[in-house]
Amino acid sequence: MKIDRVVVAGGGITGWSTAAALKQRLPWLHVTIIATPPAPDALVDRMSSTLPSILGFHADLGLRDDDTILRTQSSFRLGTCFSGWARDPASYIHAYGPYGQPFGTASFHQHWVRAAHLGTAKPFDTHSPAAMLGNAGRFAMPQNDSALGEFEYGLHIDPPAYAAMMRAFALHKGVIEVRGDTVGNVQLRAEDGFIAAVANVTGDLFIDCTGLQAALRSSIDSEWQGWDAWLTCDRIVIAEELASSHPSPLDHVVAHDAGWYWRAGRPGTVSNGCVFASAAMAEPPSGATSFAQGTRPQPWARNCIAVGDAATVVEPLEWSNLHLVHSAIDRIVEMLPDRDCAPIELADYNRQTVAEAERVRDFVILHYAVSDRPEPFWQTAQSMALPASLTHTLTQFRARGRLPFYEEETFSRDSWLAVLLGQGTIPARNDPLIEAVAPEQSDKAMAVYRKSVSDAVARQPTQAQFLSAFSRQFAQ
Amino acid sequence: MHSDTVQRIVIVGGGTSGWMAGAALAKLLPKRCHVHLIESETIGIVGVGEATLPHIRAFNERLGIKEADFMSWTRATFKLGIEFRDWGRIGDSYIHPFGTFGRGNSDVPFHHYWARMAQAGVSLGSLDDYSMACTIARQNRFAAPTTDMASLSSTFGYAYQFDAVMFAPYLRAMAEGLGAVRTEGKVVSIEQNSETGDITAVVLEGGKRIEGDLFIDCSGFRSLLLGEALAEPFEDWSRWLPTDRAAAMPCHTETDVTPYTSAIAMPAGWRWRIPLQHRTGNGYVFSSNFISEDEACHAISHVVEGKPLADPRILRFKAGRRRRSWVKNCIAVGLASGFLEPLESTSIYLVQAAITALLELFPDKNIEPSDRDEFNRVIDLEYDRIRDFLILHYHATDRDDSDFWNYVRTMPIPDSLGEKLQLFRKRGRVVKYREGVFLDASWVAVYLGQRIMPAGYDARADLPGNGELMQSMEHLRHEIAGMSASLPGHGAFIEQYCPMKMPA
Repeated sequence: MKIDRVVVAGGGITGWSTAAALKQRLPWLHVTIIATPPAPDALVDRMSSTLPSILGFHADLGLRDDDTILRTQSSFRLGTCFSGWARDPASYIHAYGPYGQPFGTASFHQHWVRAAHLGTAKPFDTHSPAAMLGNAGRFAMPQNDSALGEFEYGLHIDPPAYAAMMRAFALHKGVIEVRGDTVGNVQLRAEDGFIAAVANVTGDLFIDCTGLQAALRSSIDSEWQGWDAWLTCDRIVIAEELASSHPSPLDHVVAHDAGWYWRAGRPGTVSNGCVFASAAMAEPPSGATSFAQGTRPQPWARNCIAVGDAATVVEPLEWSNLHLVHSAIDRIVEMLPDRDCAPIELADYNRQTVAEAERVRDFVILHYAVSDRPEPFWQTAQSMALPASLTHTLTQFRARGRLPFYEEETFSRDSWLAVLLGQGTIPARNDPLIEAVAPEQSDKAMAVYRKSVSDAVARQPTQAQFLSAFSRQFAQ
Repeated sequence: MHSDTVQRIVIVGGGTSGWMAGAALAKLLPKRCHVHLIESETIGIVGVGEATLPHIRAFNERLGIKEADFMSWTRATFKLGIEFRDWGRIGDSYIHPFGTFGRGNSDVPFHHYWARMAQAGVSLGSLDDYSMACTIARQNRFAAPTTDMASLSSTFGYAYQFDAVMFAPYLRAMAEGLGAVRTEGKVVSIEQNSETGDITAVVLEGGKRIEGDLFIDCSGFRSLLLGEALAEPFEDWSRWLPTDRAAAMPCHTETDVTPYTSAIAMPAGWRWRIPLQHRTGNGYVFSSNFISEDEACHAISHVVEGKPLADPRILRFKAGRRRRSWVKNCIAVGLASGFLEPLESTSIYLVQAAITALLELFPDKNIEPSDRDEFNRVIDLEYDRIRDFLILHYHATDRDDSDFWNYVRTMPIPDSLGEKLQLFRKRGRVVKYREGVFLDASWVAVYLGQRIMPAGYDARADLPGNGELMQSMEHLRHEIAGMSASLPGHGAFIEQYCPMKMPA
C-alpha cells in the first residue's frame, strides 16, 4: 500500500520546510502539520547563516529569489572568516567553491604545499574567488568565463521571517495546518508499535521536527550516540542587534578560551552568538541554552522519521544544521517506501543519514583538532583520540596532502583544504606527481591566478549595491 | 637532490600489467623512478583481458597515447558494452551498456519509469531500447560520444577490445623510450633483508643479481614475490565464484565485428566472444568440479563461429585475492595480487586501479605505513565490489538445467550482496556509492536483464500521467533508434579511423 497521509510535527523552519517540500514534490500526498512553536533548543530554527545547498532546495520547490531573499530580508554569504583558531596564520577564510585552478599533473593544493615548504606561498585563501570577493565586502553572482566562474554562496536568513515564508508557501500548496502549543498524545498501534496518531491526527508516516525532545520519535526508542567525547561545547547564547552598517558577505567566527563567538550580518541586523563548554568557561554569559551533541543511530524507525535537531545535534560552527534538514528531506522524497516501511529501505536511509552526520561531525571536530591554542579546553581537543574516520583523513593529509574520499560528504575537498591549510596543517611530504612542474613555474601560475581573481573582484559591486540592484530588478 | 629521492623500481614480469606499470612510472614519476623490468620470453603471458572498461581511456590519455595509433597497433575494435546471452534463462539476451538508460539527466533514474509501466502491464519494449549504448551496439554501429550534456549523444561511453599480446610491446617501446631498462631472464631466487624482511634483490637464472628499492610483482598467478617470497595468504572466493579453468580458442571472424563483447552462458560456466580486427577471441570459463578439461575443449571447439586459429589452450586459476596487495616493499599488480574471472572485463581495470593508487601513494625510500595501508584499503574496496557484482550474474538466474547452475542459483551469497539484492527487489534502488567501478546503470542492467523485477519503484516516478509518460517514452525510444541509425557502421568507422597496420 502506498503512503497517502503524512503528518509532520513541529512548526519551525524544519517542520515547514519538510511539509512544503513533500507536498510540492509528491503532490498526491496529504500532508498535515502540527505546528507547535519551535523549541528554544532547536538550533536549526535559530541560525541565520546557511550553506549554498539552500539555493538548490529553493529551486526544487520552485521558490523564486524574490520570495526567499528579498521578502525575508535575507542577504548573501560567501563564507566564514575564522580568527584565533591557530597562531599562524591568525585568521583564514573558508569560502565556498574552488581554491585555485588545477594545472599540471597534480591537484592545485599540492603546488601550494610545495611553495609553503619553500617559503614562497601566499595565504591559501587568496586563491579562492569567493573568499576574496567576501573579504572585499563585495558580492556578485558567479560569472562564466571569468575568474569568478565557479564559486558558490549561501544566505543569511532571518529565521522567523524565513519560517513564515515557508509556512505561507506550504499552505498555498495545500498543506493542512493544525495549531497547538504542544504536540499532544502519541498513540502507538498495538500490533506493530507503529505510530497510529498524534493528537488524534492519523497518518501513514510521521515526521518528527520537534527538536531535541523528539516528541514522536522518542515514543519508539531513545537510542542516542553522543559526540560529547569530541565536541564538548554544550551551551549557546544568541543576541541580535539592529545594525545600520551594510552586511558583510562573510561571517566572523572567533575562538575564545572555551569555545567561539560569531558575528553574522543581514540587512538591518547583526546576529551575535557565543558557543562554549560549560565546564571550561570561567564566566559563562547569562541566558544560555544547553544542548548535547550527537545523533540518533536510527533516525528512521517504524513509520517515524526524526529530522533536524530531533535526529542530529551539532554545534553550528560550519552552519550545517539546516543543510542536514534539507538533505534528510531530499532523501525522504527519494526513498519514500510503502506503508510497511520495510526494514531494508529504512536501513539504507539510516546508513546514508548517519554517514552524512558523522562526516559533518568530523569536519567540525577538525577545527579543534588542528588548532594550537594553549588553553586547557583547546589542549584537550588537540590531544584527544579522534573518530577513526577523522584519524584516517588526518593521517593521510599530514603524511602527503591526500584527502581520502568518503561517501555522503557534505563539505567539498576544497572546504577541507581551506580549514586544514588555513589552520597551518602542512603535509610533511610533497606529492611526487608535481615534480614535472618546476617550483618557479608553480609560483608564477599561482601569482597569475591571484591577479586574475583580484582584478575580477575589484570590478564587482559591494553587497549593499548588489542587493539594491537585485531588488530593483524584481520590482520591474 | 635527485640522487636520494630516486628509487630503483624492479618489476618482475612483463605482460600487460608489467608494462602498464613500467610505462606509467617512467612517464609520470621520471624523477623518482629508475624502472628495471625483468621478463622471460620462455614464460608465456596469460593474455586474457582483451576486453576492457572505459577507464582504460583515462589511463591511455594520461600516458599520452594516441587512440587511433594504439588501436591500429593492437588491432582493436570499439566496445559499447557486454552482451549477456542465456543468463537469466536460456534464450534471454541483454546488454550491460557503458552509459545510462534514458537521457541520464533526470533526478529519478529512468528504470523506475520503465518499472512503473511494466507493473501497469504496459509493454514498451526492452530496457535496452532506452539506452544509446545498447541500441548502437545492436545496430552494429559506432561513433564517439559528444560532450553536449543536453544531447543523447553524450549518454554513452566506450572501451576497447584489443589484442593483449600486442599491447605489452606497444607499452614496452614507450617505456624504453622513457629510459626504462628491460632484462631478459627468469627469476630463480629472491633475497630479503634478514631483519626487516624487505626484498633487496632478485637473482636470475645464470646468477645475475638485480637490486632494488621497490619491487613490483607482475609475475601473474604465480605471485613470485608477494605470494611465494613474502607468503601473503590467499583469500579464496571459489565458494562464490566456482569457475577455475578457461579453454581459450581464437577463430576467424565469420559474422559481424560487433562493437561489444559477448558473454554466453554455458552448462558449466560461460564463454566469451571478443571480436578484434583480425580474429575473434573465444574461451569457455568453466568449473572443473562440473566438467572435465577435455569436455570443455570439446564444447568450445563446437561452438566457435569460424575456422579455429589454434587448438584450445587451458588456463587454470582460482578466484580470490591476496589478503594485502602491498606488503613491505613489494606491490603486486594484476594476477599476482588476485584474480576475478573476466566476466565483466575487470582484469585490466584492476591493474590500472593498482597503478593509479601507487602513483597517488608513491612512497619514499623509507616506506610510511600510512601509504601502504591506504593502498591496501583502496584495492580491497575495488576487489570486494567487483566480487559482489560478478556473483550477482550467477546467482540471479532461473536456470536449473545443469548441476552448475543449480549450485550457483542456490549457493549462500555474501551479506553485502544479499542486502543489495533485497533493496532492488523491494524498490528498484541500487545501493548508492560513488567509489568503485560499477555504478547504478551497470547494476540495473544486470538486475533487470536477469529478471530481478522490483516490487515497487521510486515514488517520484508516479508524477507524470500515464498518457504523458507513454508518449515521452515512445518519443525517447524513437529518438535513440533514429540517432543510432544515422551513425556509421562499426566496421566502416574502424576502417577509416584506425585500420590495423599489418595483416595478421
